[in-house]
Amino acid sequence: MTRIQKIKSFIFSIFMIIAAVALILYPEHAYSYIILILGVGLLIYGINTLIYFFTMARHMIGGKYMLYKGVIFTDFGYLTCTLNNIPRIYVILYLVILHSFTGLVEILRALENRSHGGSFKLKLAHGIFDMILAICCIVFIKDTHIVVIVYSFGLIYSALFNIVGALRKNV
Amino acid sequence: MQLDFHYYATYCAAFLAGYTHEECMDICYSAQFVDECTAAFLSRIMVPDKYATTQLNLELMDMPTDILGLQKITGIWTAFHFLPYDLYAEKKWASKRYKNKYRLICGPNGELVSKTIDLAKDKPLQAVGIAMHILADTWAHRYFAGTPSLVINNTNYDFYELIPDGNGFTERQISFRHNATLPDDIEKGLYTNSLYQGNENSIMNLGHGRAGHFPDYSFARYKYTPMWGNYSEILKDNPSDYMNAFCQMIYAMKYLRGSNDVFELEKYDTEAIADYKERIRGILEKRQLNANADWKAFGEELSGMEIEDFNINKYLDEYRGALIEQKKHTFLGKFLNAALDQKIMVKSEIQKSGNILVGFPSKKLKGNNI
Repeated sequence: MTRIQKIKSFIFSIFMIIAAVALILYPEHAYSYIILILGVGLLIYGINTLIYFFTMARHMIGGKYMLYKGVIFTDFGYLTCTLNNIPRIYVILYLVILHSFTGLVEILRALENRSHGGSFKLKLAHGIFDMILAICCIVFIKDTHIVVIVYSFGLIYSALFNIVGALRKNV
Repeated sequence: MQLDFHYYATYCAAFLAGYTHEECMDICYSAQFVDECTAAFLSRIMVPDKYATTQLNLELMDMPTDILGLQKITGIWTAFHFLPYDLYAEKKWASKRYKNKYRLICGPNGELVSKTIDLAKDKPLQAVGIAMHILADTWAHRYFAGTPSLVINNTNYDFYELIPDGNGFTERQISFRHNATLPDDIEKGLYTNSLYQGNENSIMNLGHGRAGHFPDYSFARYKYTPMWGNYSEILKDNPSDYMNAFCQMIYAMKYLRGSNDVFELEKYDTEAIADYKERIRGILEKRQLNANADWKAFGEELSGMEIEDFNINKYLDEYRGALIEQKKHTFLGKFLNAALDQKIMVKSEIQKSGNILVGFPSKKLKGNNI
């Protein structure tokens, strides 16, 4: 990791911790914030895809797909931002998939590092923790406030992990 | 290319260029080591990852693909595996952002090949091995770029293998799959490739990942429509290209050891292989997952010596046991310094062309410190 990437990672981690604390303190608004973030994210993604089409993908075979994708995602972004009542179960399922996939990838990376004689314990621990978070989301699927807290702890853990990574000395 | 060509075939080429058995072993070991020198390996000998000449798949997955991550990935893969053909190539109506990627498309006989060979002149044999790896890869990896790019490196359903059939060829559409645990199935035409990712900078779109390992097989003949080619179809003939690579390696190594005075592009030492042409062609065209045994047997017949199998740890203890000031004189020390020279040379040339994909122009490139 370069110095700039470390600084970027550090600052982003601080924001993650602030967001997590805010979610724990105001769990009744948590889902609205998550939907807002998702909507804005889709909007930015859609606009980025349109820019990508006009600067890059129009030279590519099948590049028009990017134009359609950009238009559809921009549209979805607007739509999501206007929703204020979405079944919470979908948000929880999204968290379950996110954490289990991240956990699995981290464990696989740790195992490959181990097979090549590199360090692997930190990664393995991160992967296992993500899997535990996914399981917690399923166990507490009916108690949505607890899930918000679990999710927030996940955010804090990831942020701390990133900070440790940013402060670690490169070999 | 894979171990069969980088290790055993490079041994054969070095021997035909006039090197002794011991020198050939050092050259071919270095050529293959380019595919092994990862950050994970370097961490075992406490060497910074700026000396890495390749990256493991999961090391790549760990890399952020922001501009700094891209620069790091591109710095490694363009310098050692996908040497750009023309850093000043033009494309009508294309944006600078597009051209930065387009200009990194790999191909043989580009100006950077000359510079790579010249850089290895009067250097240790490790530098010769590195140069041979890079030269050979320009033939295998042509038409793909050593940077993550959907618009350059993606492939689609229009990908056909040409299988020799009597005096002609049969066309068979290649079925790509994503199960990395399964070996490629040559008979059924099933090859593993990277997953489609619509993100321009996804590492799934690095080099020939979207065509899997297929372009690395010497027997492969295929036609496909590259993403950057304005719908024109490309026919890739690996047996012919690999033969050129082999002859160009001999020609280049004769220059490096002083038998030839100059190294010129598009020159191939076909005389050196006149007696073995059919044998070599037979190895290159044989449909098999690797040709290690065939190249090894050929090399051992040429030199009358045994070619030991590649062992990644062969020089590890020598390096670890050396005093700090002596490390640069060890095998690995010489390899790492030569690798860094090559990386700096290629990065400088790319930067000079105004391309930011390997670093910002103002950034000073650091020299050796092993």
